[in-house]
Amino acid sequence: MSKFMLLLYDDPSEWAKLGPEDMQKAIEKYMAWSKKPFTVDSQRLGQDAGRVIRANGGKPRATDGPYSETKEVLGGFYTIEAANYDEAVARALEHPHVQYGGTIEVRQLYGS
Amino acid sequence: MSTAGEADRFIEHLFRHQAGRVVARLTRLLGPAHVALAEESVQEAMLRALQTWPYQGVPDNSAGWLFRVAHNAAIDALRRERVFGDKTEALVAEITRSAAVTLSEPDVEEQLRDDELRMIFMCCHPALAREASVALSLKTIGGFSVREIARAFLAEDSAIAQRLVRAKRQIRDQRLTLDMPSGSEMAARLDSVLEVLYFMFNEGYAAEEGEDLIRLDLCLEALRLGRLVASASIATPRVHALVALMALQGARLPARVDDAGELVLLEDQDRGRWDQRLIAMGFAHFDRSMAGQEVSEYHVQAAIAATHARGIDPATVDWPVILSLYDQLVALNTSPVIRLNRAVAVAKVRGPAAALDAIAGLEADPRLRQYHLLMSVRGQLLLDLRRTKEASESFMAALTHTRNEPERRFLRRRIEACDR
Repeated sequence: MSKFMLLLYDDPSEWAKLGPEDMQKAIEKYMAWSKKPFTVDSQRLGQDAGRVIRANGGKPRATDGPYSETKEVLGGFYTIEAANYDEAVARALEHPHVQYGGTIEVRQLYGS
Repeated sequence: MSTAGEADRFIEHLFRHQAGRVVARLTRLLGPAHVALAEESVQEAMLRALQTWPYQGVPDNSAGWLFRVAHNAAIDALRRERVFGDKTEALVAEITRSAAVTLSEPDVEEQLRDDELRMIFMCCHPALAREASVALSLKTIGGFSVREIARAFLAEDSAIAQRLVRAKRQIRDQRLTLDMPSGSEMAARLDSVLEVLYFMFNEGYAAEEGEDLIRLDLCLEALRLGRLVASASIATPRVHALVALMALQGARLPARVDDAGELVLLEDQDRGRWDQRLIAMGFAHFDRSMAGQEVSEYHVQAAIAATHARGIDPATVDWPVILSLYDQLVALNTSPVIRLNRAVAVAKVRGPAAALDAIAGLEADPRLRQYHLLMSVRGQLLLDLRRTKEASESFMAALTHTRNEPERRFLRRRIEACDR
């Protein structure tokens, strides 16, 4: 079994349209996916835009986010187990996140 | 926190109901002019849940979590927007106190019910148009989204959104409060609340679109709010009559559409699918509606629904009683639709020819000229009299006046029956 990281990018403008009932249904769908046995770990990132460290004229410096032009923000990640990339992608495709306007990036953990 | 995935389902409509009561609570603290801020805070809390629970698991007390986080979101908004000026910190302290309560405690529950009750009474203030009251009640206390309300009323999202904006502006401009009215004003407001709830229920009930669950939700929300009013000390027998009526009619909803999505007439319904819990609830409120002398329209409607519910099968329904109840109802309300329903009871008791006579006057009523149900009832009576050609024409006329698909299929089957 190899390990893969699923990076979930959120589109908050899509979520803003949801009412309470839709939110409940969405959470139920997300939870149903999360409890699948292949999930090893899951972490939510903080709400803030974060900081980024870059060398500026050879000197490391921290700047505040956001860093990209896109409206999507990295919201959290899952670590899952899968036999190969195809299987990992198939599992990510079943994740409800995409239905709600989000994006999922699938990356294999090196050497796993 | 439970581990991610332990609880992947919640109590039905938990978010909707929780949204309603927290909006009511925050509106009470912030004042009715700031109902939009209360709604945004609740929306923020739900969004936070959506963003965190899938990763961190559902908190043990999810309702309490939403309640607290919505309070905190309101505090953040107060400090950020500064609309309250130097009153901000006092208000923050009050919201902080409210956030610290334990939801399951009886006196807290009582307080929250009181908040919701005041909110219903404000939403049904006579200064607001009935449509505005219904939309506002659904949005604020019901926790329905604009999109859901629009779907329930077959309206555009933007139309509902505008209706809500206007209603909130009126609340501000006319300085509506959450104070319960007193004296004669109380009786008038209670009537207005009942009218709004009955309208909400009928909107859900009248359109026979089985596939659209939002309409069932509308009926159940009207019933929930009705029960909330009925549990308050201000409830009169009339309130119980309306709750009985909604519960007894609502009990039949699961049987109104068959597995294929086709419309089923009351007579042909599988009574095994009637909701026994709602029937029991309906009879309990019906009993309580009998206190006092008053016989309102709700009482008579409830009595009709109760008579249907008492029949074990269509053959044992006491139609003479139903007809006499319709006679009473016609005396209280001259609506042609009620007279049409009465004609159906006339057909059962005195036969189709007498019923045809009963609806003859209705056909001249301009309000019913486009009404497909009148044409449909007339068609059925003619079919029962074996006047198949005229029956077929009547069903065809009905067909051109409804765009509701299950109903159209039903009418086409009737037309085929005329040809046999």
